[in-house]
Amino acid sequence: MKSTRRGFLRGTVVGATALGTGCTDRLRTEVSEAPADAPAPEARVRVQTEVNGTARTLDVDPDQSALQAVRDQLGLTGCKHGCGHGACGACTMQLDGTPVATCLLPATSLQGRRVKTVEGIAVGGSISAVQRAFIAEDGLQCGYCTPGFIVESEAFVTRWRAEHGTTVPDRETVADALSGHLCRCAAYEAIYRAVQGACGGRYDAGPDRGPRYDAKEKVTGDARYTVDVVLPGMLHAKALHSPHAHATITRLDWSKALALPGVRGAVDLMDGRTTVRHAGQELVAIAAVDEETAARAVALVDVAYDVKPAATSIAAARALGAPLVYGKRRGRKSAPNASEGPMVPLSWDGNVRGPMGVFSKKGGKAKRALEDATTAGTAVSGRWTTSVQCHTTLEPHAAVAHWPREDALEIHLSTQAVRHCAEDLAERFKLKRENVAVIADYIGAGFGSKGKLESEAIIAAELARVCGAPVRYVLERREELMIGGHRPESEIELSAAVDEGGGLAVKAAVYSNSGVAVGHAVTPMLRILYPEAHKDLEDYDVVTHGPPGKPFRGPGGPQAYWALEQAVDALAHQRAEDPLALRQRWDPNPARQPLYAWAQDLEVWRDRAAMGADKGRYRRGVGLAFGAWFTFCEPKTRVQLDVGPDGVTVSTSTQDMGNGTRTVLAKTVGEALGIAPHDVDVRVGHSKYVHGPMSAGSRTVSSLVPACVVACDALKEELLDDAKDRMALRGAVATDAGVEHQGGVVPWSTIIASSPPISVVGRRPRDKGGWFLPPLGGLAVEKYVSASIQIMQVEVDTRLGRTRAVEGWGGIAVGKLVSPTLARSQIAGGILQATSYALYEERRLEPMQGYLLSGGLEDYRVMGLGDAPALNIHVHERGYEKVPQRSTGIGELVTLAPAPAIGNAMFHATGWRPHDLPLRPDRVLKGLRG
Amino acid sequence: MIVFPTTIEETLAASGTIRAGGTELQERRRLPGMRTDLVDLRDTAGLDELRFDAGGALRIGAKQRIADIGGHPEIQYLYPGFAEAAGELATPQIRAVATMGGNLVQHNRCWYFRAPEAGAQCFKRGGSSCAAREGDHLYAACFDLGPCVSVHPSTLGLALLAYDGLVEVNPGGLRPVAALFGDGSDPSRDNALAPSELVTALVLPEPAAGEHSAYFRATSRARSEWPLVEVLARLVIKDGRIAEAGIALGGVAPVPLRAPAAEAALLGKPPTPEVLATASAKASEGASPLPMTGYKLDLIEGTVLETLERAVARDEVALPAPVSKLPRPATDPQPQPEATP
Repeated sequence: MKSTRRGFLRGTVVGATALGTGCTDRLRTEVSEAPADAPAPEARVRVQTEVNGTARTLDVDPDQSALQAVRDQLGLTGCKHGCGHGACGACTMQLDGTPVATCLLPATSLQGRRVKTVEGIAVGGSISAVQRAFIAEDGLQCGYCTPGFIVESEAFVTRWRAEHGTTVPDRETVADALSGHLCRCAAYEAIYRAVQGACGGRYDAGPDRGPRYDAKEKVTGDARYTVDVVLPGMLHAKALHSPHAHATITRLDWSKALALPGVRGAVDLMDGRTTVRHAGQELVAIAAVDEETAARAVALVDVAYDVKPAATSIAAARALGAPLVYGKRRGRKSAPNASEGPMVPLSWDGNVRGPMGVFSKKGGKAKRALEDATTAGTAVSGRWTTSVQCHTTLEPHAAVAHWPREDALEIHLSTQAVRHCAEDLAERFKLKRENVAVIADYIGAGFGSKGKLESEAIIAAELARVCGAPVRYVLERREELMIGGHRPESEIELSAAVDEGGGLAVKAAVYSNSGVAVGHAVTPMLRILYPEAHKDLEDYDVVTHGPPGKPFRGPGGPQAYWALEQAVDALAHQRAEDPLALRQRWDPNPARQPLYAWAQDLEVWRDRAAMGADKGRYRRGVGLAFGAWFTFCEPKTRVQLDVGPDGVTVSTSTQDMGNGTRTVLAKTVGEALGIAPHDVDVRVGHSKYVHGPMSAGSRTVSSLVPACVVACDALKEELLDDAKDRMALRGAVATDAGVEHQGGVVPWSTIIASSPPISVVGRRPRDKGGWFLPPLGGLAVEKYVSASIQIMQVEVDTRLGRTRAVEGWGGIAVGKLVSPTLARSQIAGGILQATSYALYEERRLEPMQGYLLSGGLEDYRVMGLGDAPALNIHVHERGYEKVPQRSTGIGELVTLAPAPAIGNAMFHATGWRPHDLPLRPDRVLKGLRG
Repeated sequence: MIVFPTTIEETLAASGTIRAGGTELQERRRLPGMRTDLVDLRDTAGLDELRFDAGGALRIGAKQRIADIGGHPEIQYLYPGFAEAAGELATPQIRAVATMGGNLVQHNRCWYFRAPEAGAQCFKRGGSSCAAREGDHLYAACFDLGPCVSVHPSTLGLALLAYDGLVEVNPGGLRPVAALFGDGSDPSRDNALAPSELVTALVLPEPAAGEHSAYFRATSRARSEWPLVEVLARLVIKDGRIAEAGIALGGVAPVPLRAPAAEAALLGKPPTPEVLATASAKASEGASPLPMTGYKLDLIEGTVLETLERAVARDEVALPAPVSKLPRPATDPQPQPEATP
C-alpha cells in the first residue's frame, strides 16, 4: 500500500468539523489495494415496473429504496432525497396515481406498479397547470422540495377538480393534503396561492415563465443540484464520526476497511491529532464503488477511544471543575470561527471566552441608570434563553470532486460562495486559482451554513485525488443536523430601564454556546437597535463539547431581540405606554420612520383588545417587535456582460441558492436594455466568472445590482459607438429605450441583434460618501441600518399548550426592490422561518454524552404548511440614497423580529411573559399554570 | 436474503423479518446490526380482506393500507374515532403505503433507540440499560411500567384498545389487542408477538347502538407530528347516560393504556361538561412521571377532555349503516340492532 501526504492549508477550513483546528498541515491518505469491485451484491430482485409511461426493468437490492433505484438506475434525479424518513416529502412520487414517500418504500414494491416522478408531470413538453401555478405564484425558493410539492399537488388538484370543479379549497384543506411536505425556505404563502389557484382553474393555460428566472427548471425537476451530479466512474464517500463528545483516540487503524473489496481509498481527518472535541466529528472518510460499500468500510475502521467527561451545555461548561474543551493556548487559538467576520482576540477563563464589551455605549451611565431603576423598582430584568437552531437545509452539504489533471480540480459543491471556495481550495491544494473550478448550478438552500470551505469539499477532493476518480460525498440527514451547522444557543441576562432623561438604558451579559467554535457575537445586534441608548454590554463565548455553530440568517439577532424587544415591551406595559410609541421615541433610524404610520394605522394594532381580554380556553394576543440589520457590500464585485450572436449574457462568480440572484441580474439587464429578463442568459454558479459576492449577510443585491448597472451603461456606450458607425446614425445618443437619432429610436434589442461580440465588465461603485467601515475581509459595512416592524397575532390553547401564529404583519424598509415578487417571497419565508424558530425548533444533544438525539426531521421540528400564519407584507421602498441603485438586503432582517413579537403577543394574550425558546406546549402549560 | 411468499403458510415457514409497507422497518434497518433476512409480504395472499364477520364485527386484513381504512366512508360512519386515528397518523404519503398490521408491530421512536451511538444503552437494541431514563426523556413515558421508558408508537394499537378490539394472529387465532402488547414491563421489545407469529387481521367489534367515538392527538405543530399524548374515546350513551366507556391513551407508556378510573367516572352519568371534566382529571391516575414528563399528566387531562367533548358532540352511530358495500356473510342474516332512541 502506498501512503501519500498532501499539503493542508491551515485555518481556511472551519465549521463543520475540527479539520481546521489542528496545527498539522497535512492529511494522511491511503490507497486501497483491495479488489476493485465490491463483492457481487446478494441476490438482486428483478422488478418490472412502469415509470412515467415507459416499461422499465430494475435489478434492485432488497433494502434499496424506490427513490434510490429511480434516481440511480434510471437517472431520474428530479425527486430528491431530503430527510430519509418520510417527514419532508421531497422524495414523493405517485404510485398508481397516489403520492407516496419513496425514501421509505422498498424498490421491490414497484413490481407491477405505475410510477410517476416529477419528470413525468409535464406531458409532451407542456408543463401542467400546477407547475404553471407554482411558477406564476413563486411557490418556491431554493427549489429542492419543489418536485415533491408538485407531484403531491398534481394528485390533489386532479382529485379536487374531479370532485369540486373549480371551487377554491380553503387553506385548511390544502394544508391537510400537503401535510407530508416541508419547505425549509418556507415558501408556504405562495404555495397556498399556487395550489388554490390551480384548483380554481386560473392556470389551465398561460406562460411557462414567471417572475423567477429559474422556476421552470425547478418545477420540472430539470434543475441539477450537487446531489444530482453523476460523473463517469464516480466513487462514493462516507465518513466515520466520533460517537463520543470528548475522547482521546488511542488507536485508529483502517487496514480492515481498506482491505474490503470495492474500497478505493481513505483520508485521515485527524491526521495524527488525537483529541476528539465533539460527537459527530469526522475522523476518517473512505471512498468506495458505492455508498453501501463505503458505509460497510467505515464500520470496519478500528478506533479505540479513551472517553473523557464532556461539557455539552452552557451550564455544564461554566460549572466549577468542568472538563475543559481547550486545555491549552494552542488549542484555543485553533478554535473554529462561528461568525462571518474576523475574530477579536479575547481572554479566556476555563471554557469562557470574553467578555467582549466593545459594543457598549456609555456603559457607566447605563449601569448607574439601572442601579437607580432597580432601587426604584422600575427596571425590567430577566434571563432569556434560546435553543440551538439547525439550518437543516433540505439539500445537505454535498460535494462531487474530480481532478481532470494532476494540477486541476473541479468540484461541484453545494455552497453559498463558489468564488471564495475556489480561492481557498487553490490555496489548500497549492493550485493555480484558474485551475480550480467550483460549480454550484442549483443549491438546496444555505441560510449561512454553506458560506465557507468545509470538510465535505476537502473530503471529496482529497479522496478524488488519492483514488484517481471522481468522488461524491453527501451528508445524511442525521449528519446534517449534527455538523451541518446551527445557530448557537444563548443565555441573555438583560435589564432595561428608562433613565432620567427619558432614554433607554440597557445592561446585558450574553453567553453563547457555539460548541467548539467561538466568535458568535450577540451584542452588535443589541447595539444597532436604539443606537443612542446607553448600553453596558458583555458578550461571552462558552465553549462546549458540541459541534461548531455557524452563521445563520442574521447571526446573533434573533437571540438579541428575543430579550431586548420583550424587555422594551415590558417597560411599555409597566409605564402604561403604547409599545410602538415608546419605541419611536428611542428610534433615530430614518429607514424605520416611514413604517410607523403604517403600523399605527393597522386595525390589528390600533384596535387591539386590552391585555388579557380573552378569558376562555383560546386566548388571542398581538405583539410587536423591531428588527435591524447592517447593510453590507462586497466592493470588489464585478459583473460581466457579453453581447454576441446569441444575445446578452450576464455572468459573475456568485450563485443562486433560492435567494433570486439569477432573477435580479436578468431583471437589471433586461430593464436596462429593454429586453425580456428570460431572454437574458444568466451565468452564475461557477467560480470561473468575474469576482462575484458570497451569498451571505444580505450583501448580494447591494453588491451586484450597482455593478450590473455600471456594466449595462458601459455596454450601451459600446453599442452606441458601434451603431453610429455600422448603422450610420446621425446625432445618435443613448437613451433608456435605445439609440435615439434623427430618424427615430433604434431599440437596444435591435442593435444587440446585429452587434459584433462586445464584452464589458462593471464594478461596484463606492457608496456616496464612502463606507461606514472600510472593507475587511472583502466586506464593507455601509452607512445604513435596515429596519423592520413585525406584528404577530397568536392564539394560545390554554388546555393543550399549543401556540398558533394566526396572522403576521411585516413592515420592511430596505430600499428599492429589484424583483418585488421575489422580495416578498423572501420576506414571507424569513418571517415564517423565524416563527418556526420561536415555536418549534430545538436541537437536543444527549446531556452527558453529547451525541445527537433530535437526529431527524420528526424530532427536529420545522414549520409545516398548516402552521404558517397568513402574512401581510408592507414594503417602503424609499431611502438608502447613498447606496447606488438603493437596493439592500432582505434575507437577514426579516428573521429577527418574529420571535419577540410572538413573545410579546403571548404576554398580551395571557399575561405570561415567556423567556425560553421554543414555546413548546409543556413550557406554555407550565407558564400559564404559574 | 429476501423471499416473497405467496401464502400465509409459506410466510410462517420462512425465517426473517416480516416486511409489509416497510415505512418503519426500512429506516430502522439502517441502524447497526438490523439487517436480517427479509420475508416480504408483497405477494402474500389472504391478508387484504375487509369484511364483516358473522357476528357483525369488522375484520380488517393486516395488509390493508392505513389510508384506505381512514378514508373508507363506511368505516368513517361506523367507527368515526378509529377512522380519525387512521386518517391522522403519520403523513398522507406514509399512510398510502403503511399497513394496518405494520402499524401495530412497528418499533418505538425513542430518540435513543434511533441514535446509532446509543446501542449498548438501549434495551431494545440489545443493551442492558436505558439511557433515556437518566438522560433526555422529554417525550418519554409518564407511566413508568418497566425499565424502558419509551412510548409505544402505534396509534392504531390504542384505537383498537379503546374499542376492545382483537388481533388475529397466525398461528394462535384471535387475542385481545392488549395481549399483543403486554404490560410494558419487558424492556426488550415493543410487542409480545413470538418470532414465528404473524398478525393477519384486526377485528373491531360491531358498534353498539348509541355509540360515539373520537380520536385526538396533542402536538406542538398542527399536523404530521408524533403525538405528545393521543386519546381515543368510545362512549355508548343510552337514555342520556353513559352506559359504556372505553378510553385509551397513547404517547404515555411503553404500551397503549386504558384509563379505567376515567371510564369508571363516566359510567351511569350523563355526559355533562362537569362529568367529562371530572373523568378527564382521573385519566392520569396511576401515572408515575419521570423528571421531564410531568407535563404529560396535564396533557392527558386536556386531551381526554378534548376527545370526550368531540365524541359527545358527534352524532351517534345509527345502525345499520345507511350504505353498506362491505361484504357480509351471505349465510348469516344481518345482525339486527336495537332501535336507537
